[in-house]
Amino acid sequence: MPKRILIAAAIFAASLAGTGDAKATETEKVFKFYCAQCHGVGGKGDGPNVTEDFKVSPRNFTKAKEMNKLTDADLKNVILDGGPAVDKSPLMPPWGKTLTGEQVDGLIKHLRKLCNCKGKQG
Amino acid sequence: MRFMMITAMGTALVLAAGPTWADAAAGKTAFAAKKCTECHYTDGPAKEKTIDDQLAKKGPELWYAGSKFQKKWLGAWLADPKPIRPLKYGTLNKKNPGDHPKLAGTEAANMTDFLMSLTSDAVKAGMVKVKKNIKGKQIFIKKMPCSGCHQSPGRKGKITGGFSGPSLVGAGKRLNPDWIYAYLKTPSVFKPVKAMPTFAGILKDKDMKNVAAHVAKMK
Repeated sequence: MPKRILIAAAIFAASLAGTGDAKATETEKVFKFYCAQCHGVGGKGDGPNVTEDFKVSPRNFTKAKEMNKLTDADLKNVILDGGPAVDKSPLMPPWGKTLTGEQVDGLIKHLRKLCNCKGKQG
Repeated sequence: MRFMMITAMGTALVLAAGPTWADAAAGKTAFAAKKCTECHYTDGPAKEKTIDDQLAKKGPELWYAGSKFQKKWLGAWLADPKPIRPLKYGTLNKKNPGDHPKLAGTEAANMTDFLMSLTSDAVKAGMVKVKKNIKGKQIFIKKMPCSGCHQSPGRKGKITGGFSGPSLVGAGKRLNPDWIYAYLKTPSVFKPVKAMPTFAGILKDKDMKNVAAHVAKMK
């Protein structure tokens, strides 16, 4: 393969990797800004709002066992429409009018990274 | 003689009314001189476009302060500021240090006049009837997640609620009820990037008014 093509391919691959990193960084920012209030920066369900007055325990995203019970569609549903959409607490807000579709998709990937699990396939 | 007396009285009235303008102007000058601009901006419309923009701010935007706050509360708060947010602005892990500068009497009054002169057309007067509102209370504490992030007075004055949003204890004296409704209805006008969910399109218009009325009754 000519050297020039190899270099071009390498640059292209690097740019793709860069885009992925940029998206992941942006998603982390989104997570920290919106979700960490209750779920904590590390996603362990220990955000600053979780005091003794908080009536439920926000989901700990690092627990693969629990996170594996949910499909990506379940996650999307609860992010967009809030806890009551999946028979959970209204303390989980509906974010459908706040986040963009791209941000929600990014968050689902982020949650899967936190639980290091693929979730229920469905 | 009578004409002269009327003229003199008229002049006295104009002079008496005059300082209102002078005070707001003095307040504006003091706002810049005291470097309030380092944490607050007063020229709208909203400038924030990204999360980074929002996080770069050290304090809330004040370009619609006159539509948001009640004058009496603002004057008293500037003279003796107490934390409104449990957490330091823009953080989730630092307590509000409660170190907002305190202004002396005249300065506080001038600054109040200046800030109350900053208004937004998006806030329409007379939209919210402030009275006990059971529907608004149910939405606030049961149907929607408001209490997750905002402290509010509960039964027997017990304060409950989360820490990430501004406390709503005393909101009835602090906020203009019509601003609360306008903020719920068109949040992007005031805060294009905010950690609070947008409820417009989720709550019905009349329920946003119910919630605003409930918050406006908080002591």
